[in-house]
Amino acid sequence: MTSGPAEAGHYILGHYILRYILRRLAFAVFLVFAVSSVSLVLAWSAPGDYPTESLGIGARPETIEQTRERLGLNRPLGEQYRDWLARAARLDFGRSLLYDRPVGDLIPERAVNTAVLALTALLAATLVGLPLGVFTGSRRGGVPAGAIRGASLVLLSMPPLLTSLLLVFVAARTGWLPIGGMRSPGAPAGGITIDLLQHLIVPSLALALPLAAMFERLAAQAMAEVVGQPFVLAALARGVPRRRVVWRDALKAGLRPVAAVYGLVVGTLLGGSFAVEIITAWPGLGSLMLAALQARDVYLVVGCAGAGSIFLAFGTLLSDAALALVDPRVSE
Amino acid sequence: MGQLLTRQTQHVGIIIAVAAALAAAAATGACRSEPPPASTAPVATRSGAPAVPRGGTLVASIRTEPRSFNRLVGRDSSTELVSSLTQAKLVRINKMTQEVEPWLAESWTRSPDGLRYTLKLRSGVVFSDGQPLTSADVVFAFDAVYDEKAGSSLADSLQAGGKRLNVVAADPQTVVITFPAPFAAGLRLLDNLPILPRHKLDAALKAGTFANAWGLSTPPSEIVGLGPFVLTEYLPGQHLILNRNPRYFRKAADGTDLPYLDRITIEIIPDQNAETLRLEAGQIDMMTSEIAPEAYAPIKRAADQGRVRLFDLGVALNPDSLWFNLKPGAFGADPRAAWLQRDELRRAVSLAVDRKAFADTVFLGAGVPVYGPITEANRTWYWAGIPQPSADLDGAKQVLATIGLSDRDGDGMLEDGNGRPARFTLLTQKGRPSVERGSNVIRDELKKIGLVVDVVTLDATALIERIGTVNYEAIYFNALMSDTDPALNPDFWFSRGSAHFWNMAQKAPATDWERRIDELMTRQIASLDEAERKRLFDEVQKIFAEYLPAIYFVAPRVYVAASSRVTNLTPAVSRPQLLWSPDTVAVTP
Repeated sequence: MTSGPAEAGHYILGHYILRYILRRLAFAVFLVFAVSSVSLVLAWSAPGDYPTESLGIGARPETIEQTRERLGLNRPLGEQYRDWLARAARLDFGRSLLYDRPVGDLIPERAVNTAVLALTALLAATLVGLPLGVFTGSRRGGVPAGAIRGASLVLLSMPPLLTSLLLVFVAARTGWLPIGGMRSPGAPAGGITIDLLQHLIVPSLALALPLAAMFERLAAQAMAEVVGQPFVLAALARGVPRRRVVWRDALKAGLRPVAAVYGLVVGTLLGGSFAVEIITAWPGLGSLMLAALQARDVYLVVGCAGAGSIFLAFGTLLSDAALALVDPRVSE
Repeated sequence: MGQLLTRQTQHVGIIIAVAAALAAAAATGACRSEPPPASTAPVATRSGAPAVPRGGTLVASIRTEPRSFNRLVGRDSSTELVSSLTQAKLVRINKMTQEVEPWLAESWTRSPDGLRYTLKLRSGVVFSDGQPLTSADVVFAFDAVYDEKAGSSLADSLQAGGKRLNVVAADPQTVVITFPAPFAAGLRLLDNLPILPRHKLDAALKAGTFANAWGLSTPPSEIVGLGPFVLTEYLPGQHLILNRNPRYFRKAADGTDLPYLDRITIEIIPDQNAETLRLEAGQIDMMTSEIAPEAYAPIKRAADQGRVRLFDLGVALNPDSLWFNLKPGAFGADPRAAWLQRDELRRAVSLAVDRKAFADTVFLGAGVPVYGPITEANRTWYWAGIPQPSADLDGAKQVLATIGLSDRDGDGMLEDGNGRPARFTLLTQKGRPSVERGSNVIRDELKKIGLVVDVVTLDATALIERIGTVNYEAIYFNALMSDTDPALNPDFWFSRGSAHFWNMAQKAPATDWERRIDELMTRQIASLDEAERKRLFDEVQKIFAEYLPAIYFVAPRVYVAASSRVTNLTPAVSRPQLLWSPDTVAVTP
């Protein structure tokens, strides 16, 4: 049996997509390498270092120098970079000076915490933002749509720092929810528990609210364009119920701009949010990165930056792949 | 020795050793041949008082994680707190009475020349793993702190006259400590040193790896101590849990075992606002640091509603200060060197700043004017006669005119003899509202006398680096004394000191007044006559107030708060204000 023109077309399309994804993958590897290297150089070049910070003001210069020597921080940057590269090639990312643990052990622990928070927030934002966007985009006026649009604009204009503080304030005043941390002391240290879910509410809402607003706005704008297109008007003219046209036919087209940013949002969220994690004491990558920066823990800074870039690359790849599948023109 | 207050966000940052205590006590303790009895007396055990509740969990908070579980290595406030909960010392400075108390050492005698102390250890004291405490552990602790490879941050604070103490185990229960020179503060300096278990750490010391011992990756079961609590869980970025040490040596006055609490949970809350909200909401019982001025109002409301107890502990021990770079040649060919390092400039700055307005703006009214590094909180060593000039703008301008700074072009701002503007950069710490606001007030006040100040904020590490490399013009910052007794802060007072910030580690005193302070402090530290020590230190403060190497403006009042279920508290002005005596703190069920 010979392959027909349709099969050949599918093969060519698949080939293009595969090549496109491989190209993006190569770029992702380069991105991670570049971000890690640059962050190492920047962290090394920043004023002060770990011994200066940890020994504090008034420490004797000889004590600081002795500590630098013990930690190997007195070597030239080039030598430290070469060593780091050689070790990184063997998946040894150095030892955190602050936590006295291998960076390769610390990052996954915190990344899991960030992932739990990020994915919860993403799920909540998607489940709330998209339907609301479809709803407001498919209606020209009306009080409910106007109220949703207004709320979205307010939430979009609020930085996560403010959202977090506001939610923490509400939680403190009402006493309904734990304000900070990931688990109560004494609660099981692993697994999904009621305690964990309770602790998740405030930080995930802080992340999810502006995201939901963004999804709502993107979906609404796309829907507003789509509902005026001929295929939608034709369906309506044929007597197909409006709800069915909107939620089945128009929705697919309306999702395209959301899909375009979805991967990036995933990548950014997985990289950790400084503001939300610090205010809600969520032990994720964002708070780890901040602690590492403050302590001038060079290898931990590099590890966090590298992990962030991996997530960003993953998100970009996800976005690109999704778009390439939806719209083959992208991969050309 | 001075240390840096880095609030992480306060900070972030961090760091500080604090101290407290007084000198009368030091003197009294040092001169006695027998020490005073240890305070074992929780308030509620006095006759007529209700019994202190036993059991329960106290939840406290810290903003930054400890750097280590080894106090000899980590010098940040969180490491110090964990150490104070899990370890014990030979003597303790009672921060309420400010006296030296017997702790692991139950008694001691002093030789007639004041150089040699013979300490008797309590009998029957065991570490949390059941191993007995002996004099070998004490000698080991000193060996570890003085070990070059260990690089202990406490090594400098356990010296007298720049030399180490000689520590010998006379028998399993007796330790002989010999000072290299007469040292007035005597055993007071032992409050710095936790006695660590030799059987657990000797191998690391011998292997030269003590600096890495008891790092944060050490399993809690390996952390053994003589303190009231044992570390049972540490979740990085989340919390530490410390359970009652059933083998703790202290008992209450009624003979019952201490500590009263079953458990202390320390939550790590990096953000100060969240920390305050959690205290208000009852999710934590106390913060381990003082309340920031901006958090006072909500905490006061909560106190008025009976949800928390608010304590006013009076004036702080360590106010922020401004100092200019006085290192000779620090400004190279910069023509401003002609006036930036002059005594008259510092006098004019001190005169120009309205300290009352400073207190109102920076500490929202909760501060008192100060004119030197020793505040009235340091009851023994504060010199009440310190000059307290009122703000005087005209007087300040006249002083500046004597060093050639005057308004030559009629624009209201000062210029030097060559018409160059009188302008300098003031560095301060980013993220610490009180020093940021303070720097801005200084800028605004000095503008009134025609000086232009450019305020630049840096993160704590960058600021320390600038101080260490002497790369600055002026700094507004907080450097804490590690003890109230000046004999224990030689690095600040002596010109050779590494905390003599305005011109550190001088080979020989750069000025006559620094030479004079060196001489006075040498005598002050060596004298065993308390009245003489006070007279000498008053003289030091007088010289300091005249030459103003560091300019002090306002000391804040210290407020702390705890949930209303916490009882038997004995708050003290120095950190950790509420937990300095953790074995007697209790909570109601």
